[in-house]
Amino acid sequence: MVKPAEPRISKRPIWTGRITIGLVNVPVKLFTMIFDKSFSFRFLHKQDGQPLKYERVCTKDDKVVPWEDIVKGYEVAKNEFVVFEKEELKAARPESDQRIRIDRFVDFLSVDPIYLDKSYVLTPDKSEDAYSLLLNALHSMGKAGVGRITLRTKEYPVLVHVYKGALVMTTLRYAYEVADPSSLEELKDLKEPDKEQLRLAEKIVSDLSGEFNITEYEDTFKEKVEELIDKKLKGEKIVVKKPEKEEAKELMVALQETLKQLKKK
Amino acid sequence: MSSSLTKVELSNLDKILYPQLRITKGQIIEYYIKIAPKMLDLLAQRPLVLTRFPDGIDKEGFYEKDVPIGAPSWVKTMKRFSETANRTISYIVCNDLDTLIWIANLASIEVHMTLGQADSFENPDLALFDIDPEPPASFEDVIEVTLLLKEKLESLGLKPYVKTSGKRRLHVVLPILPDYSFRQTREFVHQIGKHIARESPAVVSEFSRTKKPGTILVDYLQNSHGKTMISPYSLRATANATVSMPLDWHNVKKGLKPEELNIFTVPKNEENPWKDLFKNKTRLEVN
Repeated sequence: MVKPAEPRISKRPIWTGRITIGLVNVPVKLFTMIFDKSFSFRFLHKQDGQPLKYERVCTKDDKVVPWEDIVKGYEVAKNEFVVFEKEELKAARPESDQRIRIDRFVDFLSVDPIYLDKSYVLTPDKSEDAYSLLLNALHSMGKAGVGRITLRTKEYPVLVHVYKGALVMTTLRYAYEVADPSSLEELKDLKEPDKEQLRLAEKIVSDLSGEFNITEYEDTFKEKVEELIDKKLKGEKIVVKKPEKEEAKELMVALQETLKQLKKK
Repeated sequence: MSSSLTKVELSNLDKILYPQLRITKGQIIEYYIKIAPKMLDLLAQRPLVLTRFPDGIDKEGFYEKDVPIGAPSWVKTMKRFSETANRTISYIVCNDLDTLIWIANLASIEVHMTLGQADSFENPDLALFDIDPEPPASFEDVIEVTLLLKEKLESLGLKPYVKTSGKRRLHVVLPILPDYSFRQTREFVHQIGKHIARESPAVVSEFSRTKKPGTILVDYLQNSHGKTMISPYSLRATANATVSMPLDWHNVKKGLKPEELNIFTVPKNEENPWKDLFKNKTRLEVN
């Protein structure tokens, strides 16, 4: 009963626009297809089981700060901040131009997975023919388009590629976001392996070779927690009590009135 | 909270959903409770589509056609194939106060309804004329066209009802016996629209890609399988928290201001002009 449903692609696109390749346009809709299914817990007060809330408290006087008195600061040195107003940041952000601009096509397998970040599925937006054309061309040639998109207020490099009969857009990490491991000391003086040993290692690898199948892997922690939740639900359940406020009282008065009226009918 | 009055677990009552007017979800629920005696009869046995604004009307809302996962078991649903969505949808049906409160508690500011009842989903019992102005046509022009339409329908022996859309339109509705297809009601509404367009140069009866400024469209295309209209008494996601308000015809005149019909004023209004809407279902004669 607590098991979350299989991820389902929403009916609501998070973005609509078009793939542009030179002068060619393919209108598309963009949908989320990656769902984080890891568990999240809430902190409760142990004594009464009620959820805790977070408050933004000033580190100087320990008083709660209202949203309107909050600005953003970038810490340039320890305890030294450059302050930004909302408008200043807004002005610096790129405008979305509703486009996925493709700059070139590359062999899909030549893109190192290290750069792949988050994938979104693309569907045709009254552009079935053009969509199908692009999909089939990429599929038969094993190619992917490299380009960029502005999503909300951030620009990303992206890869447009084929996955299970759909065009998928995967955002890419910028080069500066990925560390270069070749600078690691530990890797600098690796010896060339002995030829005999290398052949043996290669044999082991080839013996264990097979098809990639992601469904062989299951999240055992998640399963155990789900089991525990089911058990706990059969026993005691903590029901969250809502604080009764003025508003809630007014609601109840209205509710009583309406119930009376409905009964009269 | 007081569980004897409602089965609904109310939540986040203090959350502000209309930021300009600082209206909270609690106030929205209160509105729907107060309006329920008039609204429930009009919603009954009808598949609904909600527009939810969990983060307020300034943030993106979303359409909820299917009953959301986690809905209480007492919420009634009806599975129907929607041609618009091209799949089977588990629609929410609201026949009682608890369901309406539950809907409001989902931050569903707008409640849209289909033009056919659940048991006659293929055969509408409402024909809708959506009177849509293209600026600079004003709301007064909309009123004028709506009154022309009323006259036309009455001359055919029909009894039209009218409501504001909550925005800049007026909706004229005919309750009809569910003996017709959507194709027929659409054609009927279209014919009437064409008729008025012939008599009045500012009125257009067809959608065109380039909307001509200053024209008023009598939109007939909403009369389609699976399409919805904003329900009478539903709130709208507008800055003024307006309501799609059923009106007495004598109030449809110069000076009517749809923005004054809102979350604060509507519950105080004693009139119930659509009270007998479904008691007056008529036949449509398509000529």
